[in-house]
Amino acid sequence: MATATSTAIRAPGATPLPAPLLYLAIGLVAGAVIAFQIFIMRVFAVGSWTHFGSFVVALAMLGFGLASAVMALAEGFFQRRWRAISTITVTLFGPLMAGCHVLAQQNPFNPIFLVSDPVQKWNLALNFILYFVPFLSAAVFIGTVFLKSTAIFGRVYFADLAGAGLCGLLVLGGMFLFPPENLLIVPLLIWFAGGICWLLWIGSRGGLIALALAGLLAVGLQFVLPQAANLTTIAVSDYKGVSYARRFPDATEVYASHSPFGDLRIYQSSYLHFAPGLSDNAAFNIPQMPSNAFLGMYIDSDGPIGIMRALPAEQTAYFRYLPMYYPFLIKEDPSVFVVQFGGGISTAVALASGAASVTAAESNPAVLAAMDAPVVRDFTGDLLGDPRIEMVPYEGRLFLGSTDRRYDIIDLSLADSVGLSSPGGFAISERYAYTREAMATYMRALEEGGVLSVTVWNKEEPPKSVLRLYATMVAAARDVDPANVANSFYVSANYLSTATVLYKRGGFTPEEIAILSDNSYAMSFDEVYAPGMMPPDEASTVLAEYYEQIFGTGDAGLPDPGDPLLDPALLNPGGADPLLDPALANPAGGSPLLDPLLANPAGGSPMLDPLLGVPEPSGPQVLPATAVGRLAWQALVTDTWSEFADAYVFDVAELTNNRPYFAAYVRPGDLTKTLDRLELFQDDWGYLSVWATLLVAGIAALLLLLLPLVFGWRTIFSRYPGKLGTLLYFACLGFGYMLVEVGMISKFILALSTPTVSASVLITGMLVFSGLGSLVSERFLDRARTVMPFVFAGIGALLVGYSLFLDPVLDWIGTFPYAVRLVFCLLLIAPPAFLMGFPLATGMSWLGRLKKNHLFIWAWGINGSFSVIASAAIPVLATSFGLTAVVQFAGAAYLIAIPAFFAVLLPLRGVLRAAAAG
Amino acid sequence: MNRREFMATTGAAAAALAVPGAARADVPFPYNYEMTPPLQVGQRDAYIAWMVENRGENPTYLAQHWARYEVLVANRDVLDDRNKRAFLLTPREEFVLERNLSRAYEHAFLDIGYGVTISGPHLVGRMTTSIDVQMGEKVLEVGTGSGYQSAYLANLTNQVWTIEIIAPIAERTRGVYDGLIARGYNEYLAISSKNADGYYGWEEFGPFDKIIVTCGIDHVPPPLLQQLRVGGTMVIPVGPPGAHHVLKIIKEQAPDGTIRVNRSDIYGGRIVPFVPFTKLEGDQIVGVHAE
Repeated sequence: MATATSTAIRAPGATPLPAPLLYLAIGLVAGAVIAFQIFIMRVFAVGSWTHFGSFVVALAMLGFGLASAVMALAEGFFQRRWRAISTITVTLFGPLMAGCHVLAQQNPFNPIFLVSDPVQKWNLALNFILYFVPFLSAAVFIGTVFLKSTAIFGRVYFADLAGAGLCGLLVLGGMFLFPPENLLIVPLLIWFAGGICWLLWIGSRGGLIALALAGLLAVGLQFVLPQAANLTTIAVSDYKGVSYARRFPDATEVYASHSPFGDLRIYQSSYLHFAPGLSDNAAFNIPQMPSNAFLGMYIDSDGPIGIMRALPAEQTAYFRYLPMYYPFLIKEDPSVFVVQFGGGISTAVALASGAASVTAAESNPAVLAAMDAPVVRDFTGDLLGDPRIEMVPYEGRLFLGSTDRRYDIIDLSLADSVGLSSPGGFAISERYAYTREAMATYMRALEEGGVLSVTVWNKEEPPKSVLRLYATMVAAARDVDPANVANSFYVSANYLSTATVLYKRGGFTPEEIAILSDNSYAMSFDEVYAPGMMPPDEASTVLAEYYEQIFGTGDAGLPDPGDPLLDPALLNPGGADPLLDPALANPAGGSPLLDPLLANPAGGSPMLDPLLGVPEPSGPQVLPATAVGRLAWQALVTDTWSEFADAYVFDVAELTNNRPYFAAYVRPGDLTKTLDRLELFQDDWGYLSVWATLLVAGIAALLLLLLPLVFGWRTIFSRYPGKLGTLLYFACLGFGYMLVEVGMISKFILALSTPTVSASVLITGMLVFSGLGSLVSERFLDRARTVMPFVFAGIGALLVGYSLFLDPVLDWIGTFPYAVRLVFCLLLIAPPAFLMGFPLATGMSWLGRLKKNHLFIWAWGINGSFSVIASAAIPVLATSFGLTAVVQFAGAAYLIAIPAFFAVLLPLRGVLRAAAAG
Repeated sequence: MNRREFMATTGAAAAALAVPGAARADVPFPYNYEMTPPLQVGQRDAYIAWMVENRGENPTYLAQHWARYEVLVANRDVLDDRNKRAFLLTPREEFVLERNLSRAYEHAFLDIGYGVTISGPHLVGRMTTSIDVQMGEKVLEVGTGSGYQSAYLANLTNQVWTIEIIAPIAERTRGVYDGLIARGYNEYLAISSKNADGYYGWEEFGPFDKIIVTCGIDHVPPPLLQQLRVGGTMVIPVGPPGAHHVLKIIKEQAPDGTIRVNRSDIYGGRIVPFVPFTKLEGDQIVGVHAE
C-alpha cells in the first residue's frame, strides 16, 4: 500500500517508471494553460480594456490555489482515484475553455458603466467565474499528476515549466496565423495533444474516445455554435474606437493584419477627420479643411490613428494651425527626426513645412507593413518612398541613443494620442518614449540650437499628464545642460486640447521667443512658460481649490464661499443654509439666490455665467488649468518643484525608466477618498483596478490559505514539523518568481518595444530555463542542504545586479534586428531563470522524499497563490517604488527563503520516532 | 432593433407600469411656451397633478422626475425658471432604452446602444443652463443620440437642429420624436433632425446662436466655428463618458475686427468644489452616498 501512495506514478502493466508520454502530457497541458491565459489577455485587449483582462486572469489563476487546498485536505481520495480524476479533468479542460469563453463573450460586461450601473459588478464577477472554471479543471489535473510524481518531481516539473514556456512561444507564433477571435485554436490544439499523450500513457481507451468527443465538442462550441446561433466570439465593446468606424455608413475596411504586434485594421471613410490640437482660429483663416482625406488605423480596436492622403499644398494650409508647427517657425530647412511615425501626420507636416530631410522611427513592424501595403501606399502617394524620408524600423529613442547624427528638430507629437483619450482609463503601461532618460537622449541628439518639440493631449481638469511631462522634460534638461534650463523652454497650451513643450539646445533668443509668442497669440493658444515670465498672481489659491474640487467633502459645498453673492451666511443670517433648504431661502416664491435676474438686479447680462449667478469677469482671464501650468513651470525653473508637487492634488512625479508610467495619479494615501466619487477618476481606473485586483486576490488567497489551516492544521498536518517555515518558503518562491517574471516583462519592453512580445519572450525564457534548472537540481538533491544556500545567494546577487545594470544592456540590444533581439533577450534572462528553477523543485522533491504528501500538494498551491498576489502587487509596487525595487524585492524574497528552506528538510515526526526506535 | 420595435417596446413597458390608459394617452392640452408646472421645491403632489392633467403623463415617472428635479435644484444644476420648466416638461423615460426604464431618472449616464450614452440629468441641466438659450434663438446640436438634449432645448426655443452620425440612432430617435408628436407633444415640431456627418454642421440654417457638440474629436470642427454667430456660444463635453468637463467656446470680434474664440469651461474659470451625490429620502435631500 505504501508503494501505491508514495512512489512514482506508473502506467498499468508498463515499466514502473515514466515514459516521455508522461512528460509530454504534463508539458502540453501546462502549455495549454499558459496559451489560454495569453488568449484571454488578447481577448480583453481587443474587445475591452487590458487591465480588466489582467484582473480576470490573475483571479482565475487562483484555480490552482483552490485545487491544491482541496487536494491537500483530501489527499487520500486523490491518490486513490487519480486515474478517474485525471481522465475527467484533462478531458473537460478543452470544452470548458471553449464553452466558458463563448459564454463570457455573451456576458454584457461593459467597464464604462462599472461604477454607475450596479449590474456591471456582477457581470465582471461572472467573467471571472467563467474563466476560473477551465483553470480549475487544469489545476486539478496537474495537481493530481504532481501528487503521483513525488519521486520524480524534478523531471515532471521540468516538463511542466518547459511545456508552458515553449507553448507561450507557440501562441506568439499563432498570433501571426489566427486573428484574435480564432486564437483559441492554439490552446485547444495543445490541450488535445496533451490529452492524447496522457490517455495513451495511462492506457485508457475509453478516455481516448471521450477525449475525441470532447475535442469535437470544443470545436463545436468555439466555431460551429457561434455561427449557427449568431453568437460573437469576441465582443468588441461599442465604446472602442473601431466600433464607431464600423458604423460610418461609407466605412470600408481596406487593410487588416494580425500578429503579436496587434490586431491592426485600417478603415476608409469620409467621416474621419484628423487635425490634432488644431487652433480654433483656423476656421476663420483658411478656406476649407480637406475632405475625404484620411484613413483611420486601429490597433487592438483602439484608435483611430490618422493616415493622410497625399494632398495638394492648398489643402494643407491648416498645418500652419497645428501645435506641432511651432518649431518650424524658427528653423529653416531643418533636418527633422520624428520619434514615432504612427500614421505619418508629423512627417507630412514636416515635409510641408520646409524640412530638408525627415528621419522617422516606427517600432511597430505591423504599422510599417501596413504603410507599405499597396492600398495604403496608393492613398498616401507612397509617402515612405519620398526621397527625403528615411525610416528607422525600431524605437526612435534607441536610434537617437546610438547614432552620431544630429537633428535640427526632433518631434514627439501625440504619439500616444489614442491612449490618452480613450475611455476605460490608462492601463498601467510603460511609456519609455516619455521618460527622463528618453528626453535626455532626444536633447543630446539635437544640433546646437536644435529644437525638441513634444505635444501631448491636455484634456484633463485638473491637469495631470501635462504636469508629469513638464517635470520630466525639465529633469532631463538639468541632466543635459543644467546652466541653461530657464532659457531653454517655451510652453503653450490650448484649453482642453493640447500642450506643446519646446526645448532649444543652448536656449532661445529673445527674437525667437517673440516669434513663438506671436504665434501663440495668433492661434489663441495660452502661453504657459517663456523665459523671463513672471509668476502668476491668479495661482495663489488654485492648488487648494483643486484639492477641494477632487477630494472635498462637499461641505464647502455648492457655491464659492468667498463670493458675497453666494455666501449663505450673508443671505441668511439666521444660520440655516438656504441653498439646501429652498423653503427657507425663499418664503415668498421666486428664489433670490437661484434666480439670476434677481441676483443681479443691475441688469446687463446676468446669464453670462448662470451657474454661479455672477457675470464673468471682463477682459482676458486665466483659467485655473493654465494658472497651474504656469505655477508648475515657475516651480520647475526655480527648483522648488518638490513643494509644488507635494501640494498638488495628484501625484505628478516625473517619468523615469524606473517608473515609466503616465497612470497612477491618485496617491495611495488618497485612495479611500475616491470610493464615493469614482466617476471623477475614470481616466485612472486602470490604476484603481490594480488596487482592486490586489485586494481581491489577497483576500481570496488568504481564504485558500485558511482552508487547510482550519480543517487540517491540528489533524492532517499535526505530524509535520516545520510547516510554518515550509509555507513561508513556498510563499517566498511564488512571490519572488512572479515578481521577476512580470517585472522583467516591463523592463524588456525597453529592447522589444511591444508588451505582448516582451511578455511571451519572458514567459518562454523564464519557464524553459527554470525548467532546465529544476531538471539539473535533481543531481544536487542529496547535497541540497549545502548547495541551496549558494543557489539562493546567487539568485539574490543576480537580481540585484540586473536591477541596477539592465537598462543600458537592453538599450543596446534594442538597436539590433528583431530576431537578434529575441535571442539576446533569451540569453540575458537565462542565468537567473536557470537558478530560479532549483528552489521549488528541490523543496517539493524533499517534501515527497520525506513523504509529506499533504504538505507537498499544498506547498504547490501556496506557491501558486502567492504568485497571483505578486502579479497583482507588481503594478502597485512598480508605480510606488519603481521597477528596480520590484526586482530587488524579488531578490529579498529569495534570501528570506534560505532559513525557511531548512524547515522543509525536517523529517516527519512519525519517521523520526521510527528511526529512533530502529 | 428597428424604430417600430423600439417604439413598441418602450411604449409597452411604460404601459405596464402605468395606470391603464394613462401611459399612451394623447397629451390633453396642446403645448405652448407659457404653460408652466409648479416649480417650487416641495410641491411634488401639485406637480404630479398638474402634469397628469395637462400632459397626461404617468404618475410613477412623474414622482421620479420630481425627485431628481429637487436634487438638481439643490445641486444648482438648473438655476433659472426657464431651465427648471424645461427639465420638468421633458419626459426622460421616453428617451432611454427599455432595459433602463427603471433608471431613467437616476443621476448616472446610461447606455443607449452603439457606443453612445444619454448624459446624466445633472449634466444636461448644467450644460444647457450655461448656454442660456433664449426663445427664438437658433440652436444646433451635433450628436443627437437619445434625443433628450434637443427635447429639453425645444422647451427653451422654437428652433432646434440636430445631426446624428450613426444612422440607426438617427432613425430611432426621429421615430421617438414622431411618436411623441403624434401623441400631442407638439413642442418637438421645433426639432429638425438629420443623419449626416456633424463635422460640417448644417450650413443652410446657420449661423447659430448656440451649438452643442456631444461627439468626440481631436479638434473643434472649423465648419461649426464658422456657423456660430459672433457672440454665440458653443459647448463641448470633453473626456470619457460620465467624466466630462464641458468646454465652453465663445466667438468674439476683437476691436481690430478679427474674429477670435475664447475657451473656458462652463464654470467661467472657477474651480467648483466636488458635490457629493445626493439622494432623496422621503422629502429630505440627504448627503453623500456611493452610487
